[in-house]
Amino acid sequence: MAVYSVFVVSRGGSLIYDIDYNVPKTDVEKTFGYPLDIVLKVFDEKLTVDFGARDGIKIGHYLLAVNGRPVQGTVFDDDRTDVREFLGQQQNYPISLKFGRIKLTVNEKIMLASMFHSLFAFGCQLSPEERSSGIQILEADTFKLHCRQTLTGIKFIVLTDPRLPYVEGLLKRLYELYSDYALKNPYYSIDMPIR
Amino acid sequence: MIFNLYIFDRLGTCVLYAEWNRKKPANLPKDEEFQNMYGMLFSLRSFVKRLSPLDCKDGFLNYQTSKYKLHYYETPSGLKLVMNTSTDVGDIRETLRQLYGQIYVEYVVKNPLCPLDKPITSDFFKDKLETFIKALPFY
Amino acid sequence: MSRPSKPGDPRKVSTELFTLTYGALVTQLIKDYEDEQEVNKQLEKMGYNIGIRLIEDFLARSNTGRCNDFRETAETIAKVGFRMFLNIAPVVTNWSPSGDTFSLLLDPNPLTEFVELPEDKYKLNYSNILCGVIRGALEMVQLEVQAWFVSDQLKGDSSTEMRVKFIRKLEDAVPAGED
Repeated sequence: MAVYSVFVVSRGGSLIYDIDYNVPKTDVEKTFGYPLDIVLKVFDEKLTVDFGARDGIKIGHYLLAVNGRPVQGTVFDDDRTDVREFLGQQQNYPISLKFGRIKLTVNEKIMLASMFHSLFAFGCQLSPEERSSGIQILEADTFKLHCRQTLTGIKFIVLTDPRLPYVEGLLKRLYELYSDYALKNPYYSIDMPIR
Repeated sequence: MIFNLYIFDRLGTCVLYAEWNRKKPANLPKDEEFQNMYGMLFSLRSFVKRLSPLDCKDGFLNYQTSKYKLHYYETPSGLKLVMNTSTDVGDIRETLRQLYGQIYVEYVVKNPLCPLDKPITSDFFKDKLETFIKALPFY
Repeated sequence: MSRPSKPGDPRKVSTELFTLTYGALVTQLIKDYEDEQEVNKQLEKMGYNIGIRLIEDFLARSNTGRCNDFRETAETIAKVGFRMFLNIAPVVTNWSPSGDTFSLLLDPNPLTEFVELPEDKYKLNYSNILCGVIRGALEMVQLEVQAWFVSDQLKGDSSTEMRVKFIRKLEDAVPAGED
């Protein structure tokens, strides 16, 4: 499926709805011997690859699991012991490590939503032409972002495969669904996260 | 149609700004506009990198609004080229690459008297740039 | 072993002129500074200034993107960079076990054609400018490295070997106001 995720951002820039569909996976699992020739660094309270990238493991990838045990930040998920201590002991080798990109947490999505909200405004401001709208399509090499801002200031954002043209139909449909299920529901307060 | 062009060095100094068909006058003084543009580019790059489901190779490429399209090309050495055009222009990454290789590298980098971290004053460079831009099919 | 210039191609310069120019430069530096270590330092500094501009030319002409790891960087320097500017293909060898240091075997070395180092100048690293070029060029693509010569055919060694060590990755400058 070509659509990766959908986000809805309120007038103030807060994320009120998000859903992921078919986010492609980048996990790579490999066995390593002692001493570990990949250099790990703590970044943002998580263990990430700093040096020694190869075979699909790239710089910036996070350590997701050790011998199948999931890792949370710098400690194991199950017993909260420090992963780095475990990696430093020779008797634990050979060891199987899984690396990959981390899925965005809810907090990160909220932050990215408000980031986009200001970028959208900048798009208007820095326009060389009169009366430009904000960013409608944003293209990167791995995804395409389609955005539609309604007259009330709500933004519907869809992330898709980069080859897709502007999904105007989908965005319009999202707006219709929003106006039906959210607004016509008397128990829903505007600008609050949608359940 | 090409509206304007910005070139930023790796530290964020705007070393070149040129405009051709800009209709809307900037409401801000130039320094602020350059700072805003650079700040926006920096945020866009990090936004794209974090949001991307796969590892980025090139990262942010361009964005489009109802009235203009902003194209972005960054070299591994940190030089950032930004060109604003009308919305009917397709992918001009190759054009920006040529601008970098054939104009900037040839007439600025290879000129030892041209400092790389200050705004470009070389008239030679500016003439070559004008000729290159005016010869583009979407000028 | 000169490359004859094609008639009408003003950009090609014969290797001989290049070797002569470099030789004159080193000789003048020795006359001015007298101390070989100081000359080595100056050559490295000059190389650095060349490197920071040369990288742009390299990126523009070779159309390479970012390298994914240090091994790729080493291969790109040897196979694409050296070939583009000096028309030689040094061999990448002697990787350290941690993968952060490698050697480049420069054979032949166009800078030292017809050069014979006098006995009293044994501390001079004749081709030290190349160390500076590599350091300057890699710094512009956010890699801090150290480059130095471990052996030199001019000094009677069997090969000319430059060692390049990765120090750290340089982070992009963050503009004022960002986190």
